[in-house]
Amino acid sequence: MLTDAMGLILADNERIRLGKIDEPRSLAAVPFAGRHRIIDFTLSNMVNSGIRRVGIVALTRYKSLMDHTGTGSWWDLDRIRQGLFMIPPYVNMTTRRPDRTDSQSIIDYVESGHQEYVIISGSEFVASMSYLPLLDAHLANGADMTMLCVREKDKYSAPAVTIDVDESGRVTDVLVDHPLPKSDLRAVSLVVLKRDLLLEILQDRMARGYSDFSALNLLRLYDLLTVRTLIHDGLLFRITNIAQYFNASMALLNDEARHQLFSEEYPIYTKVKNRAPCLVTPESLTLRNVLASDGCMIQGNVENSVLSRGVVIGRGAQVRNSVLFQDVQISEGVTLDHVIIDKNVVIKMGVRLLGQDDYPIVIEKNAIV
Amino acid sequence: MAKQDTIAMILAGGQGSRLGALTDYVAKPAVPFGSRYRIIDFPLSNCMNSGIETVGVLTQYQPLELNSYIGNGHSWDLDRNSGGTFILPPYVRQAGSTWYKGTANSIYQNIPFIDSYQPRYVLILSGDHIYKMNYAKMAAWHESKGAEATIAVIEVPWEEAPRFGIMNTDENSRVVEFEEKPAKPKNNLASMGVYCFTWESLREALIKDEQNPDSRNDFGANVIPGMIDEGKGVFAYRFDGYWKDVGTVFSLWEANMDLLERPDVMDLRDEMFPVFSRNYQQPSHYFGENCRISNVAVTDGAELYGDVENSIISSNVIVEEGAVVKDSILMPNTYISAGVRLERCIVGMDTLLEPNVRATPDEPDGTENFRDKLCSNGITVFGPNLIIREGLALKGNSMVWPNDAVRVPELVAERYPSWRKEMGQC
Repeated sequence: MLTDAMGLILADNERIRLGKIDEPRSLAAVPFAGRHRIIDFTLSNMVNSGIRRVGIVALTRYKSLMDHTGTGSWWDLDRIRQGLFMIPPYVNMTTRRPDRTDSQSIIDYVESGHQEYVIISGSEFVASMSYLPLLDAHLANGADMTMLCVREKDKYSAPAVTIDVDESGRVTDVLVDHPLPKSDLRAVSLVVLKRDLLLEILQDRMARGYSDFSALNLLRLYDLLTVRTLIHDGLLFRITNIAQYFNASMALLNDEARHQLFSEEYPIYTKVKNRAPCLVTPESLTLRNVLASDGCMIQGNVENSVLSRGVVIGRGAQVRNSVLFQDVQISEGVTLDHVIIDKNVVIKMGVRLLGQDDYPIVIEKNAIV
Repeated sequence: MAKQDTIAMILAGGQGSRLGALTDYVAKPAVPFGSRYRIIDFPLSNCMNSGIETVGVLTQYQPLELNSYIGNGHSWDLDRNSGGTFILPPYVRQAGSTWYKGTANSIYQNIPFIDSYQPRYVLILSGDHIYKMNYAKMAAWHESKGAEATIAVIEVPWEEAPRFGIMNTDENSRVVEFEEKPAKPKNNLASMGVYCFTWESLREALIKDEQNPDSRNDFGANVIPGMIDEGKGVFAYRFDGYWKDVGTVFSLWEANMDLLERPDVMDLRDEMFPVFSRNYQQPSHYFGENCRISNVAVTDGAELYGDVENSIISSNVIVEEGAVVKDSILMPNTYISAGVRLERCIVGMDTLLEPNVRATPDEPDGTENFRDKLCSNGITVFGPNLIIREGLALKGNSMVWPNDAVRVPELVAERYPSWRKEMGQC
């Protein structure tokens, strides 16, 4: 069953900074849920919705992202026809200067596909769902574009795009990072529109000298075009700041949330690494409420934490409420609480790092503490 | 076809009947091993790590699971435009057809396949041993000796030597005599079932063997002794790493436990010589709020809420809170309910144990009705795709077969409906 839509994933968002963890890599390539990365979710959602042509717009620091996606084979997107397309920005062809012309490469990608619709996804949310209901809603509501949004239950935290709709569901106002938002509807960067309309918008923006492109650009056309919304009430984590990232990671320790995100119906694919099985040695005395991955070696004590592949926890270490990325080494006797530790970090013997509930400590990639 | 210097042929057609219920509907090489692996991952990964790029896998017994597991060899980087992985089942010819009559006959029937690559050397490997070996080193040694056949051998304890094919060699490592399971061994160098042949010599020997109506067409019993008798250059190549034949329930259990007890000799974490497997893409595994875990290997998709000690846990295994699992192997997608107590058990793929099932070597009030001579050392095997009904208690050395769903339906049922009932095989 093929869907008459192509996918377009925006791997970066200039308005979002996740502490230090999106410094060495695109937002889309930020690790999440142990063995996954943020992009795995929207990419798998697209594949699970019958989309077989996906372009990934990557503007900067995309080495890690491209390592991860490879030929797209993990998502069955290594196709002779269609498949996965990386869309880095072009150098300006007239001046030969590295002026950003992001939109031209997107235009070329969209033009060469024959699907009638484009589903555009940002990388600032994590959910497991089919995108067909969004497409169906769009076909039914007759709008120029339809965007996903959620009702925010938690306390307001920026960055956020608040929208207002009239009785018919049409977007009437878009407020970016407003400190006192008048509505609880937050835009999720997932939009569907016709391919031809997208091309028209992109070409128009290029002609007016705007080269950048984001879902927000589209949403801001609400007074020229009809933009309608579909409210998503299933599980969806917005990842727009480090506190949200941390809280979403911790939320996965809850069985119900985890089973919703990783269901049999919508499998989430990722790059395979072939690490050895995770080993828990007899020296590990406490191990509770932990999500861990292959290649880990757990000799110490871990509680309420998420461990990516290849994490080593030394004897007598106490790790609580923390998120450890790939190949992090925690030496003997270390104490960690509320810490996010990036890839390849070594925490030396006896170090104590204690963060706070809404302010986790972040240790950057390759550091030695 | 592009010439390949060395190609490998993996013998994966055997039933592995001594594993009983575990190979009831999969071939032995497809039996899960060591949490993330299947047995055949070891020879396939060895090929990958040895730079061998063309591999033929000879299948015959229950090949469905094995074929779909291997696919095009992508998981071991063995999908190539030139060469790659080939599943080679027996096939029908104009002049009639035969099943693979023996290990040598299976290679004989595939002479055209091997010829098409014009290799200098052909490796013949078993699909049922656990070991990490660089075949390139062996082939180089073979070449340096000017050998026609090289047999990898490993020192085994003297008391175990009568279970193996024993090589008697001269001071130059040349094999002067081959004894299959000798009662009084003169030597403790056992054949590992890993052979390197000069293709020209092997081709000739296979054709000759096929013409002999009395031959069992077996490498160990016929082809290699024949080459030794004819004075061909047959050499023994000593291997001193970890090697284990997992042909019996006890040896399969032991080899799994070796991953926990002896990680120094069977190191799966060595990134210079990794073992790859087909990965079915599950989320990270989860350790629950009240679990107690000690000395356990565990992998993707597993969720452990109970007590697990000294055990091998495969992907998607669930152990509920209140279950106790000790010294056991849980194969992929098994479900262990609350109140279950297991000790020295192997639970086959997809099997569900209902609450309070108990299987320990000396289970009080445990039934002996499932005792099976294939099981020893107190080990109990639950076959694949079964539901074991609430409260069933077994003494050690028991085996629950898929067929028990018909024999004792009040105690055992099939978990997922299968074609087996309609085919009368269950």
